[in-house]
Amino acid sequence: MSADTIPVSVLTGFLGSGKTTMLRHLLGQPEFSRTAVIINEFGEVGIDHELIEASEDSFIELQTGCLCCKIRTDLAQTLQQLLRRRDEGRCVPFDRIVIETSGLADPAPILQTLMTDASIAGRLVLGGVVTTVDAVNGAATLAREGISQKQVAVADRIVLTKLDLTGPAEPALLRRLEQLNAGAPALIADHGRIDPALVFNSGLYDPRTKSTDVTAWLAEEAHGHAHARHDADIQVYAIMRREPIPAVALTLFLEALAEHCGNDMLRLKGIVNILESPDRPAVIHGVQHVFHAPAWLDRWPSGDRSSRIVVITRRVPQRWVEVLLAAIVEEVTDVPAGR
Amino acid sequence: MSGAPTDRVCELLAQSLVAWRVAGTIERASDGVLLIGGNAKDIRIERAPHAMFRWTVTVDGRKRGAISLVAVLRQVREALDPGYAAVRVRIAAAALVPS
Repeated sequence: MSADTIPVSVLTGFLGSGKTTMLRHLLGQPEFSRTAVIINEFGEVGIDHELIEASEDSFIELQTGCLCCKIRTDLAQTLQQLLRRRDEGRCVPFDRIVIETSGLADPAPILQTLMTDASIAGRLVLGGVVTTVDAVNGAATLAREGISQKQVAVADRIVLTKLDLTGPAEPALLRRLEQLNAGAPALIADHGRIDPALVFNSGLYDPRTKSTDVTAWLAEEAHGHAHARHDADIQVYAIMRREPIPAVALTLFLEALAEHCGNDMLRLKGIVNILESPDRPAVIHGVQHVFHAPAWLDRWPSGDRSSRIVVITRRVPQRWVEVLLAAIVEEVTDVPAGR
Repeated sequence: MSGAPTDRVCELLAQSLVAWRVAGTIERASDGVLLIGGNAKDIRIERAPHAMFRWTVTVDGRKRGAISLVAVLRQVREALDPGYAAVRVRIAAAALVPS
């Protein structure tokens, strides 16, 4: 990963959950002084951008619709535009981009764009997904709105807001968040105020060290024994494998996942011990039916060389994923056809 | 890989029915062939007799070769799940190993 790689963080959360308030606070912090902001509002008249104080030339509002369903191309073009301005010295030389989605946005297609668009690949890297949850209405919203569940499920960080109105978060809400995404720490914003260091440095790429931090990125789900946290719809589990996986088996495995349950594969991330590359593990990352090209680490981040793949799905059984991988590895490593 | 489909393949197919949420049964015939029933279709899964394909999938008497388990799964699902439309798979092109 180049030292000039710019992390793009996605700030999502349901309508009224406090995204803009938090972003406004963050942009006032010195750590965020070199941040470009893209705000996507749903509806004819955007107001969120009026609430954000940011440098005019590093701020873009997308008004043409909801990012997730209409203007993925616009997002890619907007990012290209931002990079061009930066390269030509026509804006603050930002070293971070934050995209605030509309409250109704499905974050998955946005993540897909960030991972796959050839025009921005190489310059940008997904810096993490932060989801705000309103402590007042959060439980009801999660019960009612599938999009809200998805926003929580793909998060690297969850930020609880409006606790000043409720006191400590309701245990039922915390349990629900744990069910949906046990791997994402739940942080608290007080009137939008939160330690910037806790929020956006949550992706694979750590802008502070300009390096990859796989262990933190995979979060606790990747450690210890594989386990599932069940919810009626969304499950998070880790697939572990000690033996190295042939590269072609990994490709077949990802293709089968995408082909058979792409829409239900909310997010997949992992570190994989590739048979042909024992000293350089592959980092994989996928959203729905799109998988990012593997990133190759220079070395293993710890002594643990097992493959760990964290899967966030809607009703895709863990056992099927485990057996699928095992069967494909068995087939690939066995005597070729024509024995 | 030789001989009949392994128990792992049998379990994969059984788990696949669960994952796809389609009704069906799986059993192993005395000669080791896997027999799948569902959606009014009879499916046989067996090792291919020649080198070009690893597997032969027979659906209601019509035989087709399958080069890998991934292809077997695709054929089985197409037979059992009338509403199945394969998601267009997009795997970003990249070297399989680091350069």
